[in-house]
Amino acid sequence: MTSNDDQTRPTEPVMGDMPEKTDPLDHLLSVDEPEKTDLHDHLLTVEEDLEGNTDRSYSQGALVLRRFLRHRGAMVAVGGLVIVLLLAFTSIGVGPLPGWWPKNYSDLYPLMNGGAPTMKLWPPAIGEHPFGQDTIGKDYFAQVMRGAQISLFIAFAVGIMATIIGTIIGAAAGYLRGFVEAFLMRTTDLFIIIPTLVLAAVLGQMASKAGVIALALVLGLVSWTGLARLVRAEVLSLREREFVAAARAIGTPTPRIIMRHILPNALGTIVVNATLLISAAILIESALSFLGFGVKPPDTSLGLLISNYQSALTTRPWLFWWPGVFILAIALCVNFIGDGLRDAFDPRQQMD
Amino acid sequence: MTPHTNTNTPAYNAETDPVLKFSQLDVNFKTEFGRVHAVKGLDLQVMPGEVVALVGESGSGKSVTATTALGLLPKTARIGGQTLVADKIINELSERGLRSVRGNRVAMVFQEPMTALNPVIRIGEQLTEAMEVHGIAHGREAWDRAVGLLEAVGIPAARRRAREFPHELSGGMRQRVVIAMALACDPEVIIADEPTTALDVTVQADILDLLRSLKDQLNTGILLITHNMGVVADMADRVAVMFKGEIVERGTVEEVLLNPQHPYTRRLLDAVPHLGAGHGQFGTSPLPVAADAGMALEVKDLVVEYKREGKKPFRAVDGVSIDVRRGEIVGLVGESGSGKSTIGRALLGLIPSTSGEVRVLGTDALSVRGKGGNELRKRIGVIFQDPAASLNPRLPVGDVIAEPMSVHKVARGKEREKKVLDLLEAVQLPRSAYNRYPHELSGGQRQRVSIARALSLQPDLLIADEPTSALDVSVQASVLEMLIGLQREFGFACLFISHDLAVIDSLAHRVVVMQYGKVVERGNRDQVLMNPQEEYTKRLLAAAPVPNPIEQKRRRDERHALLASLGDEIVTLDTRELSM
Amino acid sequence: MTKFIAKRLGISLVILLLGSALLYILTVNSGDPLQDLRESNSPNRENLIRQRTLNMRLDVPWYLRYFTWLGGASKCLIGACDLGKNIAGQDVTSLVVNAAGSTLRLVVLATVLAIAIGVTLGVVSAVRQYSGFDYATTFMAFVFFSLPVFWAAVLLKNYAAIKFNNWLVDPTFSPVTIVVTALIAAFVLQAAMGGNARRRLITFAASAVVFAGVMFYFDAVTWFRYPSIGLPIYILGVLGAGVLVLSMTSGFDNKRVRNAVALTAVVAIGGYAAVRGLLMESPSTPLLLLCGLAGLVVAFLAGWFLGGFSRKQAVIASFVLALVAAFIAISDLLLSNWSGYLKLQSRPIPTIGSVTPNFTAGYWGHTIDTLTHLLLPTIVLTLVSIASYTRYTRASMLDVLNQDYIRTARSKGISEGKVVTRHALRNSMIPLATIVAFDFAGLIAGAVVTETVFGWQGMGNLFRQGLLQIDPNPVMGFYLVTGTAAVFMNMIADIAYAFLDPRISR
Repeated sequence: MTSNDDQTRPTEPVMGDMPEKTDPLDHLLSVDEPEKTDLHDHLLTVEEDLEGNTDRSYSQGALVLRRFLRHRGAMVAVGGLVIVLLLAFTSIGVGPLPGWWPKNYSDLYPLMNGGAPTMKLWPPAIGEHPFGQDTIGKDYFAQVMRGAQISLFIAFAVGIMATIIGTIIGAAAGYLRGFVEAFLMRTTDLFIIIPTLVLAAVLGQMASKAGVIALALVLGLVSWTGLARLVRAEVLSLREREFVAAARAIGTPTPRIIMRHILPNALGTIVVNATLLISAAILIESALSFLGFGVKPPDTSLGLLISNYQSALTTRPWLFWWPGVFILAIALCVNFIGDGLRDAFDPRQQMD
Repeated sequence: MTPHTNTNTPAYNAETDPVLKFSQLDVNFKTEFGRVHAVKGLDLQVMPGEVVALVGESGSGKSVTATTALGLLPKTARIGGQTLVADKIINELSERGLRSVRGNRVAMVFQEPMTALNPVIRIGEQLTEAMEVHGIAHGREAWDRAVGLLEAVGIPAARRRAREFPHELSGGMRQRVVIAMALACDPEVIIADEPTTALDVTVQADILDLLRSLKDQLNTGILLITHNMGVVADMADRVAVMFKGEIVERGTVEEVLLNPQHPYTRRLLDAVPHLGAGHGQFGTSPLPVAADAGMALEVKDLVVEYKREGKKPFRAVDGVSIDVRRGEIVGLVGESGSGKSTIGRALLGLIPSTSGEVRVLGTDALSVRGKGGNELRKRIGVIFQDPAASLNPRLPVGDVIAEPMSVHKVARGKEREKKVLDLLEAVQLPRSAYNRYPHELSGGQRQRVSIARALSLQPDLLIADEPTSALDVSVQASVLEMLIGLQREFGFACLFISHDLAVIDSLAHRVVVMQYGKVVERGNRDQVLMNPQEEYTKRLLAAAPVPNPIEQKRRRDERHALLASLGDEIVTLDTRELSM
Repeated sequence: MTKFIAKRLGISLVILLLGSALLYILTVNSGDPLQDLRESNSPNRENLIRQRTLNMRLDVPWYLRYFTWLGGASKCLIGACDLGKNIAGQDVTSLVVNAAGSTLRLVVLATVLAIAIGVTLGVVSAVRQYSGFDYATTFMAFVFFSLPVFWAAVLLKNYAAIKFNNWLVDPTFSPVTIVVTALIAAFVLQAAMGGNARRRLITFAASAVVFAGVMFYFDAVTWFRYPSIGLPIYILGVLGAGVLVLSMTSGFDNKRVRNAVALTAVVAIGGYAAVRGLLMESPSTPLLLLCGLAGLVVAFLAGWFLGGFSRKQAVIASFVLALVAAFIAISDLLLSNWSGYLKLQSRPIPTIGSVTPNFTAGYWGHTIDTLTHLLLPTIVLTLVSIASYTRYTRASMLDVLNQDYIRTARSKGISEGKVVTRHALRNSMIPLATIVAFDFAGLIAGAVVTETVFGWQGMGNLFRQGLLQIDPNPVMGFYLVTGTAAVFMNMIADIAYAFLDPRISR
């Protein structure tokens, strides 16, 4: 077709293309401006719009980020989680790196005022032992920070590991079906019959002697099925989409289809459920430690602290409250972030 | 129904006053990015026993207008002006008052019969519900009336069907149920929002016959929302053309369709493919096929079966043979369930074939594997129906078009980029589209991207599966025009799968008609479309509406004569069933 | 449908078998059962080790021990279970029998409550999307979802139970408490009921007055020490429930359904008036069941014979009414015996154990004792799993409310309440059926933790002690009961699924 055709038959661009202009933000923001009523005027402007806005293109990722940043609950939660992370890792330091808090979690200090917390809201003061001291005089702030470090480490390690395993198995089950799918479904059935916590307890009993890393590994091994099932369901629906059919029709090799066409589109499901895995992991770890199958002394974790001091609730309530509040805060922040991500990836429910 | 005296207009006369009237209707929506002005000061009225067609393309605001009449717009909508249903002012009614009008005075027929019925409630119960709510009938009386309604809209074995669930009925049957539901309380006006868009042409013709008899026999006013000019020509008394929230032209059906005044209406009508107009109706026509052209595609006795749990496999394609010569466009026509799309997918290797032989450009396509298979795939291009679904939403347009090249390692770097830009130009998209994402483009633009991708390796064979049926009619016209132009330029062979006979008529050299997985008729385009031999082809052709009310009336009478000669009943509302 | 369920059941049983092998292997390999003895300084250490080795057959390879266990467990099919002995030489079968009752009672009750409350909250917050109620529910759901079970349990035990017991010694409300509680309750209620500002204000004012009045009345008659419902309120309750059931099912215009419900109500009232004395004087479980059954049969017959053309609706409506009436009757009986119970137990909300040991009281005393022990653990477990039901129901309901058929229903002029209950609810329950099975597994796990906190000698304790001592038999006993319960629950979920969705039942 020649350019001459274009001028003689002004059918391009097309009417139907007009309600949707090229840049969704531009278009939707400009709708309240006076509309041009001249039809031909319109016909001419559409292509120009596309030409004129080369620098402004929003990928799906950018739109998701934009929606996420506008989600108030999620942003508060991000702030909260960052504060907890900073507090836990900078205060008492990590490994050889020192922190800014002068006390550590294993030394004994003289008991002051029965070990009651010295932190005051008004006038604001931190004092010697902001979270108080335990029965033998250890600084409880340092202990809670240490517990939070371990709990956070386990939670993120489990989250990342289970996400990787779950994504691989879920994608394979959804796209290739067959054996992997049967394996996934039967494993899921198994976890309905043996609750995750029970299996984790048995495995934790074995692994916890070997330390925190082994415990994280073991928890990762039992936490992936939920995510795998959701990824599978997502992949099952994606593989029926026409762009996947188009990719297959031009002879795209299977690994490339999965990596380039399917997984990027399943990213929402994966990311949202990865956050849920992290919050589930922190709760499972603390429950296991509470039952005695998780983190063992001399390591400590938030769950173990609660377990140690549950009978101290009436005499030294702070020993019980602080670790619990930290678990709740971390899990709550992670869940709200997950909720924000869900809304950002799936704006349908937001729009109406 | 509860009388709302305060909202009654004075002296409403049921015989002479409009049953539905919009005055200065103005609707805008709040969205994430600001306000969208959907309807701008619209005036329209529907008299008893009259069909008014509201025509427009997607985004014109026609469905929003319709929904306003039932007061069913979401809360984000701000509504100005006035909407009257008989003597009720919709805007001023309380929620309770609105409910007494909905279904009772004004009823709605929706587009998607597959999703418009509640899947977990029996059909009969869905029908009696409205009657019980509005106090028309209760219990057994309501049930009998429901069965009567189902019989009236031509559903056989209505008493048994009433006890079934929606998934046990076909699409056409479900749409009849939806229409029966709209009739349940004998409303003054029915709003039919694209009532036949999701249906096959033969079913569409039946549903239109039904709607027509309904206004004749019950004196119901009908507001018909549609984008299909053929349907307008077949049904409407008066027409209003809507564009970007405004009515740009109105008049009787003859005035508007035969002598359009507004440029938009003219363009819209020009864009409608006309059965019988043949090649060249969009400016270009495909080149004739060279007499000595070799075979691009040979399909022999192809059988495709779908496995079903606990049942014998379903034969979607049953011994089909098709061939396409180089440079030839073959139209594959059929209604839903005919197996035409299954053939397309089987040829592309997307679903396994049970038996038969497929040779593409001389190579056996079913047995070839590995490198040979890759070589073969390079030479086949494909376009799918849904432009929204056929582009990976995560890739920018440039990557989408370059994808086949990168899979087959053809060209690299600058050279590849140049090819993509050339392709963008060939499909008449600006270079700036290169970095755009599919969701930033309109439907027509996306389909152009699909075409560019299909052509990126300069294929010898193009398989186009309903490439224009998800597009608005004017977009369809330009896409078809472009496709023909590209075919002239690149000279590929094309298997063009479509349900639309008029589209096939505009570009195909030869036509193959399918029904129930078998080929019914085949031959040259004019031979099959102008002088069909087989009964099914005749029915199909007779059912396709044309956008000319006079011609369409003749065609309708011919169709009725054809049906009568074949011993079929013409679907009409059987009012005897409603006399209870 | 039968085939579908049979297939699922078959798979579950195979998984149950494989799971037992897995759990056995892991348990016996999770540590050394002789650890404590090896470390002891007891003079007869060697002797003790030898004895335990013999008792636990540690000299036999694990797979032989497993098969012995499997053989014993499979005898359960013929009603002669033999689950071996634990490390202390006690018979595990009898331990399991004693423990299973209390744990299953806890888990099933928590499941039912969580579904009922969670689904209700989910539906209401979906219908009132983006309202204050929705945000509050969502926030609370997230809090409960993020709550460590054991932490919440300890808090509840130490604050709620002990404070409530203290308060109950002299149960009075201060005027401030009455006003504040009534205002808060009324505020929540108006947020849930919705409507325009005027309607909400009326709801708020009316319910605040009612709440305050009820609290004042309770305060005046020291209701919490001498509670009762009594026959007059029973009658009012049944009639009110009848009106509610009618308005939710067929409405008042369908006289057949109306008659059936009315007859059921009359029979329920008359019947209860007749047997109430007997049930107070000489109660027994069979008698209670007999009365309940009689009520349900009458309801069924009333629906069947009076329902005429609306038979199905009539049967359902009168059946639901009969259930509600039975519930009110039981509540009346329990509350009437409360003051008697208080005389025996001055601190009625216990924090330890699943029953009061060596407690001697009548039938009702024991029933109340069991219920009060259940109270706190049930609250904890319910709170934790309400969250997921609320979220899932809300999401599913929102999805359904956006469907075309809901628009169709609205276009017919059906009221919003009916659109939700009749058109949306059943569709939104379909995906939930699969969640139940997973949630049940979560509740079993939750029960293990909760029992530890509340010192129950239940299944959780059996598992925990067994695992700590590397003693497989109690662990396997726990598995047998909870695994079978999970399979059973799964089957119920499958049946519910097939029942909810006509598309898969044929």
